[in-house]
Amino acid sequence: MTTQLLQREQVVTDVLHPGKATVPKTEIWGTLAKMYKTTPNVIFVFGFRTHFGDGKTTGLGMIYDSLGHAKKDEPKHRLARHGLYEKTSRKQRKERTSRIKTVMGTAKASLVLAKRSQLEIGQQKE
Amino acid sequence: MAAPEVLESDLPNAVALLKNLQEQVMAVTAQVQALTKKVQAKAYPTEKGLSLLEVKDQLLLMYLMDLSHLILDKASGGSLQGHPAVLRLVEIRTVLEKLRPLDQKLKYQIDKLVKTAVTGSLSESDPLRFKPHPSNMMSKLSSGGEEEDEAEEGQSGASGMKSGKGTAKKYVPPRLVPVHYDETEAEREKKRLERAKRRALSSSVIRELKEQYSDAPEEIRDARHPHVTRQSQEDQHRINYEESMMVRLSVSKREKGRRKRANVMSSQIHSLTHFSDISALTGGAPHLDEDQNSTKKRKKIAKKGQKKKGFRRRR
Repeated sequence: MTTQLLQREQVVTDVLHPGKATVPKTEIWGTLAKMYKTTPNVIFVFGFRTHFGDGKTTGLGMIYDSLGHAKKDEPKHRLARHGLYEKTSRKQRKERTSRIKTVMGTAKASLVLAKRSQLEIGQQKE
Repeated sequence: MAAPEVLESDLPNAVALLKNLQEQVMAVTAQVQALTKKVQAKAYPTEKGLSLLEVKDQLLLMYLMDLSHLILDKASGGSLQGHPAVLRLVEIRTVLEKLRPLDQKLKYQIDKLVKTAVTGSLSESDPLRFKPHPSNMMSKLSSGGEEEDEAEEGQSGASGMKSGKGTAKKYVPPRLVPVHYDETEAEREKKRLERAKRRALSSSVIRELKEQYSDAPEEIRDARHPHVTRQSQEDQHRINYEESMMVRLSVSKREKGRRKRANVMSSQIHSLTHFSDISALTGGAPHLDEDQNSTKKRKKIAKKGQKKKGFRRRR
């Protein structure tokens, strides 16, 4: 089902894999890309549940119109699965907040900008 | 020689009696002649009457005739020894005696007929007066609009009823006093028994028996559990929600336990050895499984060594 506002297609997939283990998500990206004639990097799938006994797995998925739309709308953890987002480690975040606390007033703004530049560096790596 | 004295004292009595007799005979003859005239004029048709009465009439007449014949003979000095009329009289007498019980049986009917003929109408306490009159049930208060359209009976009946109701008052339902509801222990027991019975009816044993004895063809449905339980219905509901909302809902511990138990119940090996509890149908007390314990009882069954160490969130 296509949601125009979010520029994506929402799908429910049934994967049939009798005798084999549950199919990994990377393979499913590939198959869905072929079905919808797009690149695998705009396909985001999640919530795979294998039914009792072997053979059938059901999952949910989103297929975006473009990567830009995907980056805007998709939650960060799913982007991370594609490698499009790297979470700053917890230690780094705590250090940063403590650094910001030492400074008062307009000086805080320079430290906040420092964080943003870190994100862009992370993205440019990919 | 007392005979002439007796004769002399009896003479005036005899004369008086004879005179009396003569008068009476004259009166009777007059009446009989009148009756015969009427009968000859066919004023009394008896074809549709009671045949018993006709027979009795004829017999009585014959009896009288024979009797009068005997009297005649005796009066003219003959003897009655071996008289043929005597035999006939005896025969008629026996027949009349035999007819007496029949007479008794018909007594009521005859009396009523006679009374009706005399009074011209039924008596006050006659049960025939109390027969039902369906025409009394129809309301006679409405106007003469009912009398038309008598050919269409159903419509006229309906319209009659409608017009009857239109004039009647509006129906106001009675205001019942609200009663306080307490469910007693006995009622709760009964409910539990009812539930157990319902569950037993849909158990595998009964289902198999039904399949064995019913003529309906065996139905095989793919991917659908033939035995729909509450758990499976809830699961279906959950799945529908997840797929429409594009989210995956988290499953609580209790839910997981329930699902596991439901799976265990429906797995093949378990169903081979553990037959469902159909004691509810056979009359025994319903055996409560662990999953049927109410929440109160579950709280009472406290586990060992699990005191309130902080706030344990059991979802």
